[in-house]
Amino acid sequence: MTLRLRSRAFADDATLMMAIVNRTPDSFYDQGATWAEEAAYERVVLVAAQGAEIVDIGGIKAAPGAEISVAEEKARVVDFVARVRETHPELVISVDTWRAEVGDAVCAAGADVLNDAWGGADPELVDVAAAYGAGIVCTHTGGVRVRTRPHRIEYDDVVAAVIADTTAYAERALAAGVPRESIVIDPAHDFGKNTFHSLEVTRRLDEMVATGWPVLVSLSNKDFVGETLDLPVGQRLTGTLAATAVSAWHGARVYRVHEVVETRQVVDTVWSIAGRRPPARAIRGLA
Amino acid sequence: MTGRGVSGPRVVIAPPVPALLGRYASLQDPVGPLRAACAGAVGWLDEPVRVLADDGQGHAVAESLLGRPADAAGGNLLVMANGSACRTEKAPGHLDPRAAGFDARLGALLAAGDLAGLAALDRGLGRDLLAAGLESLAGLQALGLQVASATIDYDDDPFGVQYWVVRWQCES
Repeated sequence: MTLRLRSRAFADDATLMMAIVNRTPDSFYDQGATWAEEAAYERVVLVAAQGAEIVDIGGIKAAPGAEISVAEEKARVVDFVARVRETHPELVISVDTWRAEVGDAVCAAGADVLNDAWGGADPELVDVAAAYGAGIVCTHTGGVRVRTRPHRIEYDDVVAAVIADTTAYAERALAAGVPRESIVIDPAHDFGKNTFHSLEVTRRLDEMVATGWPVLVSLSNKDFVGETLDLPVGQRLTGTLAATAVSAWHGARVYRVHEVVETRQVVDTVWSIAGRRPPARAIRGLA
Repeated sequence: MTGRGVSGPRVVIAPPVPALLGRYASLQDPVGPLRAACAGAVGWLDEPVRVLADDGQGHAVAESLLGRPADAAGGNLLVMANGSACRTEKAPGHLDPRAAGFDARLGALLAAGDLAGLAALDRGLGRDLLAAGLESLAGLQALGLQVASATIDYDDDPFGVQYWVVRWQCES
């Protein structure tokens, strides 16, 4: 399905790199490396130059931690979105937030997508997306509350649960007035899932793709990769790229990533193996 | 030679390069200038057009350039041929010191429209050098064509393989 993210449209065979830009002092991977506005802005410039189609700007880390007020979250992201909008008109701007009030402010500042990592915790977020014609990412959290870790969660069938919840959320967004071509579903690896769940979701991602909703995967350096290889944050790139390759094979369309260049190369290679993308320039044996 | 005002058969010689086939298309065309030259020359041929090629791949490339099946008969010809594939160390057939001389000779014959010379070319050497379409070129003499003018639209060896795109206007 063609993806329309406010002003930008992408053909139904296009894959998109969504680069993570944290305006947080404490996110797990970068440990606050882009907490300062200038550092975050420099990251936007870098990932845009690396070819990312989307930046995903977040003001609150996903893991449990100090309560961040609406006012504080807005202070971290709204003006920053406005700055990126002005300097990078071609870039799709996503904001990682579950709060409708924050979503409203960032859309007014020029954001194109609301990436709701917490699966519709704030029921009015879809109304905000609809009001601005913005896209929305519908994630699966297994019913866990915002900013909590999974603890002893069991599913009869994790993939069935993921599909049921994300497509229900997508239908809710559609009913609220978000255009069908602006809705993306995300199984949300690690969220409400143990490592076995995340591995199974990866293994069976084709079932999610088969729903017809464009699928976003957020795999980058996550714990399920770390636990699979027994490696700490900082040593998970190879495992991340392996999971990326499988997701691409199954047809995931959007990749939320720390490493844009490496992920783009993996996705392009797998997309070509799958016969969905011609090689960049093939002459070997054909001259 | 001058072909002005001549209205006889038209002949195009183009290389049977598989990269020209749609099924081998890349995001960036590795043979863009060659493809453009072939398209221009083939567009110059009036229908019907008969294809001369030494093998099925040559026919496939020809029909891809024509954008339709070749005609069974017809005075205008699309001849699929190229020079050696041994012009550099990176060439498909590696560097062969005989390649440059062979290609110079073949290029001169094409530019001159010298059908007798093409028929007399050393085809065994050509096979060694991975040249293509030499049987088809040799067969032109028997067709009784008189080349009035020759135009070279393309003459290059971008991958160590010598390609030409040549248009011949023949006398009627």
